[in-house]
Amino acid sequence: MSIDVRNVSFFYNRGTSLEKHALENVSFSIEKGEFVLIGGEVGSGKSTLIRHLNGLIKPQSGSITVNGMDVRNKGVRSKVSLLMQYPQKQLFGKTVYEDICFGPSNFGLKGDALAKQVRDALKLVGLDEGVSALSPFSLSGGQMRLVALAGVLAMNPEYLVMDEPTSGLDPENRYLLLSTLSKLHSSGISIVVVSHQICELLPHAEKVIILKNGCIDFIGTPKEYLMSVSSPLPEITSLMKDLRLEGFNVRDDILTVDDAFLEISNALRSRGAKQNG
Amino acid sequence: MDSLFMSFVPGDSIIHRLDPRTKILGLMLASICIFYASSFEWIALIALVFVILILVCKLPLKHFVHSARPMILFFVILFLMQLLFTEGKPIFSSKWITISYEGLVLGTILTLRFIFLLLFAALLTTTTSPSKITAGIEKFLRPLPLKYMGISSHDLAMMMSMSIYFVPMMYDNFRNLKDAQLSRGLNIKKDPVKAIIALSVPLVSISVRAAEDVALAIESRCYKSTGRTSVHMMGLKKNDYICLFLYILLILFCIAY
Repeated sequence: MSIDVRNVSFFYNRGTSLEKHALENVSFSIEKGEFVLIGGEVGSGKSTLIRHLNGLIKPQSGSITVNGMDVRNKGVRSKVSLLMQYPQKQLFGKTVYEDICFGPSNFGLKGDALAKQVRDALKLVGLDEGVSALSPFSLSGGQMRLVALAGVLAMNPEYLVMDEPTSGLDPENRYLLLSTLSKLHSSGISIVVVSHQICELLPHAEKVIILKNGCIDFIGTPKEYLMSVSSPLPEITSLMKDLRLEGFNVRDDILTVDDAFLEISNALRSRGAKQNG
Repeated sequence: MDSLFMSFVPGDSIIHRLDPRTKILGLMLASICIFYASSFEWIALIALVFVILILVCKLPLKHFVHSARPMILFFVILFLMQLLFTEGKPIFSSKWITISYEGLVLGTILTLRFIFLLLFAALLTTTTSPSKITAGIEKFLRPLPLKYMGISSHDLAMMMSMSIYFVPMMYDNFRNLKDAQLSRGLNIKKDPVKAIIALSVPLVSISVRAAEDVALAIESRCYKSTGRTSVHMMGLKKNDYICLFLYILLILFCIAY
């Protein structure tokens, strides 16, 4: 069970003077339940790539299969949900409830099952059930984004693909969204996130893919990514590197504050033991 | 994004370098000629002129075809209306419909007229950058006594260039929205009414907000409608005068014919 991308290439405006090579011979796979982070500069082909994953763009060469099914088949859209950048723009329902119903009802869900899906989705993103009767346009930007997220979660996807989910959010909503993502991930949904904020997502990710000019520049685990020379480090990791340079015996492949706390207190304890002994 | 509809393609052909005013005037003349074209010989002559212009501007035909493509439904309806509702010598008739020879001729000519009108307009927009078109229109409007109505030719030209700027932006927003709603399982063919609501409601709200933002951006840069200068220094060159001479010949020919 996985999304398999094999030798995919894509040109915009093919055969005209405005032709632009967006993807070149890209191959990778996303396993079921995996948390994948896709990074890269502006114009490196990230958005083009994720539009391939549920068949919005058909591959011009190469193939993409979702659980063995070709993406040209529209059925994959119930398995792979794509949430665009600034998803609050796509809301249109008279009420939040109606808007969230849109996705699952398009895939044939009705009645009690539909109502239950909507309730569950609202609960998953941590929104109060009271909002379901409100107009989506009366909510704040952060809440609208959560409603949009609930709108795709109500379709019960196996793979959730998101383009820049945290851009333009304040720190509180950012934290809320990231913790929602890790909750979803632990419930077994594969998460694919495209982001420029690599550092804040690195602790959650299991696989990192970096695109450059339409080619895969790097693919590997977050720890391997930290070892690669050019990558900018998360603040906590660079702190640990500095500590190590200062002579503390700590690991420098740390990604979260909690791990850093443990590592530093261990180092201090062993140092104290040495001085005492 | 993949949008070739009426968009500017940079280049360095004779047509690209012509003064925008010459090109706008040319488009006006071409439109008048196209509307007077009432026989296949005329249409053929117009097609010949168009082909020559395309060869001169050195752009592939694809750009122009893309500009006409979104209007295909309109062309088909136009053709069918003429075909079915023109009276004359019947060449095919059944219980419900009668097709006359006159209808066929009229439908074909009318449809071809609209296609060429669109193609000539595309020739202007693909070879002239939007800001140059605006500058040209602004110069044209300058002699009009607009200031007694409380507006300046700059205001009109500004509004025009804003509308030109908004078309590709709305198109981009529309494509993004379509992708978003398709991802949520929208089936446009199966449920067109739902599709219209799911696409138009957010598109209107996005566009209104974008318009407000642009208005604020203009305001915050102290926009004044009078005493502005243009980035594009315009001046008629040798080629422009040749074109204007050709236009006059064309008009004289039309009057004589």
